Amino acid sequence: MGSMFRSEEVALVQLFLPTAAAYTCVSQLGELGLVEFRDLNASVSAFQRRFVVDVRRCEELEKTFTFLQEEVRRAGLVLPRPEGRLPAPPPRDLLRIQEETERLAQELRDVRGNQQSLRVQLHQLQLHAAVLGQGHGPQLATAHTYGASERTPLLQAPGGPHQDLRVNFVAGAVEPHKAPALERLLWRACRGFLIASFSELERPLEHPVTGEPATWMTFLISYWGEQIGQKIRKITDCFHCHVFPFLEQEEARRAALQQLQQQSQEMQEVLGETERFLSQVLGRVQQLLPPAQVQVRKMKAVYLALNQCSVSTTHKCLIAEAWCATRDLPALQEALRDSSAEEGVSAVAHRIPSRDMPPTLIRTNRFTASFQGIVDSYGVGRYQEVNPAPYTIITFPFLFAVMFGDVGHGLLMFLFALAMVLAENRPAVKAAQNEIWQTFFGGRYLLLLMGLFSVYTGFIYNECFSRASSIFPSGWSVAAMANQSGWSDAFLAQHTMLTLDPNVTGVFLGPYPFGIDPIWSLAANHLSFLNSFKMKMSVILGVVHMAFGVVLGVFNHMHFGQRHRLLLETLPELTFLLGLFGYLVFLVIYKWLHVSAASAASAPSILIHFINMFLFSHSPTNRPLYPQQEVVQAMLVVLALAMVPVLLLGTPLHLLCRHRRRRRRPTGRKQEDKAGLLGLPDASVNGWGSDEEKAGGLEDEQEAELVPSEVFMHQAIHTIEFCLGCISNTASYLRLWALSLAHAQLSEVLWAMVMRIGLGLGREVGVAAVVLVPIFAAFAVMTVAILLVMEGLSAFLHALRLHWVEFQNKFYSGTGYKLSPFTFAATDD
Amino acid sequence: MLEGAELYFNVDHGYLEGLVRGCKASLLTQQDYINLVQCETLEDLKIHLQTTDYGNFLANQTNPLTVSKIDTEMRKRLCGEFEYFRNHSLEPLSTFLTYMTCSYMIDNVILLMNGALQKKSVKEILGKCHPLGRFTEMEAVNIAETPSDLFNAILVETPLAPFFQDCMSENALDELNIELLRNKLYKSYLETFYKFCKNHGDVTAEVMCPILEFEADRRAFIITLNSFGTELSKEDRETLYPTFGKLYPEGLRLLAQAEDFDQMKSIVDHYVVYKPLFEAVGGSGGKTLEDVFYEREVQMNVLAFNRQFHYGVFYAYVKLKEQEMRNIVWIAECISQRHRTKINSYIPIL
Repeated sequence: MGSMFRSEEVALVQLFLPTAAAYTCVSQLGELGLVEFRDLNASVSAFQRRFVVDVRRCEELEKTFTFLQEEVRRAGLVLPRPEGRLPAPPPRDLLRIQEETERLAQELRDVRGNQQSLRVQLHQLQLHAAVLGQGHGPQLATAHTYGASERTPLLQAPGGPHQDLRVNFVAGAVEPHKAPALERLLWRACRGFLIASFSELERPLEHPVTGEPATWMTFLISYWGEQIGQKIRKITDCFHCHVFPFLEQEEARRAALQQLQQQSQEMQEVLGETERFLSQVLGRVQQLLPPAQVQVRKMKAVYLALNQCSVSTTHKCLIAEAWCATRDLPALQEALRDSSAEEGVSAVAHRIPSRDMPPTLIRTNRFTASFQGIVDSYGVGRYQEVNPAPYTIITFPFLFAVMFGDVGHGLLMFLFALAMVLAENRPAVKAAQNEIWQTFFGGRYLLLLMGLFSVYTGFIYNECFSRASSIFPSGWSVAAMANQSGWSDAFLAQHTMLTLDPNVTGVFLGPYPFGIDPIWSLAANHLSFLNSFKMKMSVILGVVHMAFGVVLGVFNHMHFGQRHRLLLETLPELTFLLGLFGYLVFLVIYKWLHVSAASAASAPSILIHFINMFLFSHSPTNRPLYPQQEVVQAMLVVLALAMVPVLLLGTPLHLLCRHRRRRRRPTGRKQEDKAGLLGLPDASVNGWGSDEEKAGGLEDEQEAELVPSEVFMHQAIHTIEFCLGCISNTASYLRLWALSLAHAQLSEVLWAMVMRIGLGLGREVGVAAVVLVPIFAAFAVMTVAILLVMEGLSAFLHALRLHWVEFQNKFYSGTGYKLSPFTFAATDD
Repeated sequence: MLEGAELYFNVDHGYLEGLVRGCKASLLTQQDYINLVQCETLEDLKIHLQTTDYGNFLANQTNPLTVSKIDTEMRKRLCGEFEYFRNHSLEPLSTFLTYMTCSYMIDNVILLMNGALQKKSVKEILGKCHPLGRFTEMEAVNIAETPSDLFNAILVETPLAPFFQDCMSENALDELNIELLRNKLYKSYLETFYKFCKNHGDVTAEVMCPILEFEADRRAFIITLNSFGTELSKEDRETLYPTFGKLYPEGLRLLAQAEDFDQMKSIVDHYVVYKPLFEAVGGSGGKTLEDVFYEREVQMNVLAFNRQFHYGVFYAYVKLKEQEMRNIVWIAECISQRHRTKINSYIPIL
């Protein structure tokens, strides 16, 4: 938990991996997921790196895997998930895996090919049978004979030579969508010297490749003359029709048909055999593929990591640079020692100084993860910056609850989250793929706290589904009022509105023990009372929240050794914020405590006082809250305004002074400094291409060169942002009031428009019971949909904004990057 | 068409325009070309292309990788994109896209007829056909013996039919006639397309007309250049020129009389637009006229993306993509033939 406050110390580590043991070392590191490798070959393109051949081999294998996987999927089978831990295989195993998969793939390809060709043949046979069986024959034949008999005189008249012209047939099948085009083209190309009859197949055939049912159009073309025949054949060719021999005699056709049927039967048997064998092969694939896939994926990852290492001059070892948390260094050393023990030469890791900002590492558990996520989605913190997440754990649900305060709604949310928390270890819940569900599930602890806090604020507001509950006796007594002012029955009957005067003895007995007195829910001025309360509460919460943010900045300045900023930034900021808005909070609380019901008539207005404070004026009608108020106020304003120039000029002037002082001193220290930082890596790396380091060094020198205009500009922006931000951010916290008001009113409306009408409908028990069922259903659905989901979402967004903008911009820069260790965790899943 | 396309253009075509602009952003950059040129083998080229928007489009190719495989796959990709545009387009964009495919269809028909003349198998030639210009009746082209045959039997239902009105003849289809047919078809096609864009008005006309005018002029130059030393008469030559463009009409009449490249050049001297192009020929790096024209085309197509609410982006995108494919094929050829001296003479897409 201690590591939540700021990110862990991360060191740049140089790993010397003996060439022989590099692979095992890196694969072990991948299993542990401790380090993030830095690319030392950034200037080398992907295909010129050292292990590109191995990567390519892995990719080759993956290609085969994809083929096998596709085949398994096509057969309608699923691949089992690999069991147990599968370490990255030693490089020599790659050959074995490659051989095995290649052999399987080849076998599968063969069987598949066989099956395919058998299917095609079978399809062809079936089509042929269909064409023959498709009733074209007899009809045409009869038409032909009838036609002949009718036209005998006509045909004979032009002359005998044409008598011996025989009618030829082309029969075949074509896909239905091509049929009309084919028919038209035939007609146009042959100028109508043919008779084509098309008919659709009644029974769809299986497509040989996809296996889907497809209908076919069979056609029979009868024509005269050989030239036209050639044309027809060409055209049918180009439409990819299946053309079959068509015998003229019906008996011959029938015989052919029978033969075809027999053939297709035999073919089907053979096909069945092939398919059985295929399923055997697929079974073997199912066994082999999943573990091999995981192994090869790991192997590829290892080679890609190795590609980021540079080679030492002696070629005896690889040098890697990696970020590693200081806490994990012993584990890293041990892992390296263990995995290189076999080779006799030990791999070593040692820290080296670094100029780059290290990555940010904040370890989370399932509880803190969602809160850290809220912070990280704004920006990952700078290295070792104060992490707002631990405070967010409480403030976020609280601010949410201020806007969402309702016992009933909070309880529903709490129970929903509790159910998720209790079921979190169930595999079915974990494996759910639904994205919306995953979002909710990921934030279950957040929801849990949000619900819990909403119950709490709900008690404060005394609202449960917008109804007030009186757990304690109310602090107001109507009886005392009635007795004192002698209300008669007639008076009560005439007046629907009665006033309770707290100044009458016995009417106001004292404040309600916890939260809002339930009697307010009956009052006509309920809303204006709550508004005043909630508005003031929002401002108080806001100023406290922001002041807390400014104070957190202190820890940043202390940690980064910028003590001048404590005096020149945090102090003025705090004075400005507290002097103006802290004073406002003071006024609010002071008035709450000091002004009683008796003096309510002449109570001073805080608003007028606050405005007058800035205008340095006073209004005679507004009584001062306490003596010497104007003097104190004037001092505060002057003090706050005096802080602006301090904030604006303090840091830049300080930096300039320091810079000048340093420059005046001889440059000896600087050189020493440089040698200290540059010499060390050079010495230890014995001269490998450390141009990156050198470039870093140059950069740093330039950084030391202070650019005054930039510093001033930066500080001016910061000052303006802070001073204006104080005003606008305080106003921004009023959203707490607005949202909580909206929530209360919406639930009030829902109750009044749905449930109250329903409850008032039937006086008889039966009617009321029947009517209440749908009405309660509507009430429940609308409560969940509108009040819980919609309102919850909007309150969530506003709470998010208050944290990101109003709170975090006081101290959090969020310009870092996450440590993403080299790990196999994703491939194992 | 109504004026003010920007008001309602997006209702029908906004999605596709956005899409095509996104596609344009995925064209290879200068850096990509620099990396590609450094490749040693086609495998390297493939690895490098994987890091671009081409992704692993070659992943399913069996080894060894050849240039033609790369070419086919790239064409398939372009065709896939184009089909997507076409399937999601509404009138009049869909007509515009159909017009775009026509030029490929003409090329395919001519290719098939030439193949039939040389007695090559249809299948072999089908592989060479551009997938953008594919249509069902295409393969039946070789049954036709005369242009009118071709028209009546095969092409009457395709979008190519209207372009045939000039070239109906009963001449047998020999090589020269096929070439004439191609040019006549092209001329008629370009004129119709030009008219379509002009009638459409708006930004589309403003963008497309210059591009098509350039295309027409380029054809005129190429025809002239190719007709030197052939039996084509000067009158016939003139009938092949598309009748619009910067050269029309005086320039074309002069071109029809030209007898060699120098005469052509002196004609071009009157045209500010084309003068620098002809001057660049043979200059630094030994550029051919073709290269110069390609460069100019790329330039115009890139400029088309500077305007919004017009159809020209689709035309420009396809042309740019084609140029990119030509570049990749060129580089791949240079790599596979180990002929690295000329590898840098691809046409950079700005």
